[in-house]
Amino acid sequence: MISCQDFITELGNLLDDDVAIGIREQLQAHLAHCNTCQVLYDSTRKTLRIVTESGSFDYPEPIAEPLVSRIMDRIRSGCELPDSASSK
Amino acid sequence: MSFLPETNDDLPSLAIFKRHFGFVPKVFRAQTKRPDLVDSQTKLIDVLLFQKGALTRIQKEFILLVVSGTNNNSYFAALHSKTLQFLGVKPQQSEQITIDYRLANLSEADSALLDFSLKLASQPNGITATDVDLLRDAGFNDEQILEAVLMAGLTHLLNSVQIGLGVEPDFKPRLTLPLKEVNLPADSERQMLERPLTDESVSDDPDVEVVRRVKGGDTDAFEELVRRHGRRVYRSLIGILENAEEAEDALQDCFLKAFQHLPEFEGRARFSTWLVRIAINTGVQRLRGPKNLDTLDDESEDFKPRRIQAWGDNPEDSYSREELRKLVEKEVMKLPVKYRVALMLRDLEELSTEEAANALGLTIPGLKARVLRGRLMLRESMVPYFAKTSAGVRE
Repeated sequence: MISCQDFITELGNLLDDDVAIGIREQLQAHLAHCNTCQVLYDSTRKTLRIVTESGSFDYPEPIAEPLVSRIMDRIRSGCELPDSASSK
Repeated sequence: MSFLPETNDDLPSLAIFKRHFGFVPKVFRAQTKRPDLVDSQTKLIDVLLFQKGALTRIQKEFILLVVSGTNNNSYFAALHSKTLQFLGVKPQQSEQITIDYRLANLSEADSALLDFSLKLASQPNGITATDVDLLRDAGFNDEQILEAVLMAGLTHLLNSVQIGLGVEPDFKPRLTLPLKEVNLPADSERQMLERPLTDESVSDDPDVEVVRRVKGGDTDAFEELVRRHGRRVYRSLIGILENAEEAEDALQDCFLKAFQHLPEFEGRARFSTWLVRIAINTGVQRLRGPKNLDTLDDESEDFKPRRIQAWGDNPEDSYSREELRKLVEKEVMKLPVKYRVALMLRDLEELSTEEAANALGLTIPGLKARVLRGRLMLRESMVPYFAKTSAGVRE
């Protein structure tokens, strides 16, 4: 029988649906009797869903076109390669 | 114990493992149906690993650990992590070497040795004379370089034997590579295991045609690449820089660098992965002070979730889309930068594990460890917003 720490270690693979059948069975057997890990799994899964569907940090559309133009203008004008010295 | 029955574990050649390890690893006991093959392997292991050679025994064990980690092989990661501990290396350091040896406080020479071994294991077609020269620059002679190459090859052989025969670990793995390869993988997993680390289905890279046109002198075609990937680059940069204005500034630098270095892009990774790697380097260059993606912290410590409280079926329904967007941005930004960037690449940008690992220059286990930590920390911060009640919060 796997422990709660074993379950947490495998949680990322379980969320990514990246576990072999034998391991999945062990994880599900653990979930069946461990309410703590059941809550942890359910809430982490929902966290992922919320994050993925949130549209957070999306590219701000109003500035997209000017940025594209600025980049292409600099490329067409043969600008110098930005290096660490030019970085802030 | 394995897919093939053991027939005889008293083969004379196996005694060498009892001498060095105090036991016979299961991966050899699983091969006793062919004593001649066991003999051949033990002779090679004796000469290459156990006998005094050009590299130290600990350096050879480092190579075994890193190549096994690259192969996502729990069995050998556990076995050689334990072996290093027998040789006097602290458990925390041996585990850190498996996750990401660059954070394990190794000497420059040992880091160079493992850079070479990792590249040989994950990008064998990318090895050139320059890589060997880097080893020479780090102080390694030709005998040592030969041993390093053979150790990486031996590790691949042993990893394949263990996976192919379904041998269970001798020690319980503690890391995030565990258990997976001890069972026959499902078809999708088998495909993943058969691919080298950097193979991201490069053959179907949707940008390959546009990249070819730009390389051929069609500068205007680069605009298409800016439009396709601006969002991804922006997200990578804001995850590092935490400031929209600075992210926009860095985004321009990133695309300029990509354009000017495009002749060096050889298509070994997807263009988008290569671009994200440039974005991350650009962002990291702009970071000042102690904030750094590679800052060593408590990554090797187990993270213990504290707020265990049930959530409703669709807890996000209580918030508008705009509220959710702001909430996620606020809480993601509170994560330490190394976890934040890994999580954003996987869960917001939805890069595959391989793509995100390549973009960040991490092994797959290293990337997985950071993403999991980020997800657990983010979940913890979301509990007050989405749990059914606050009464059951455990502190």
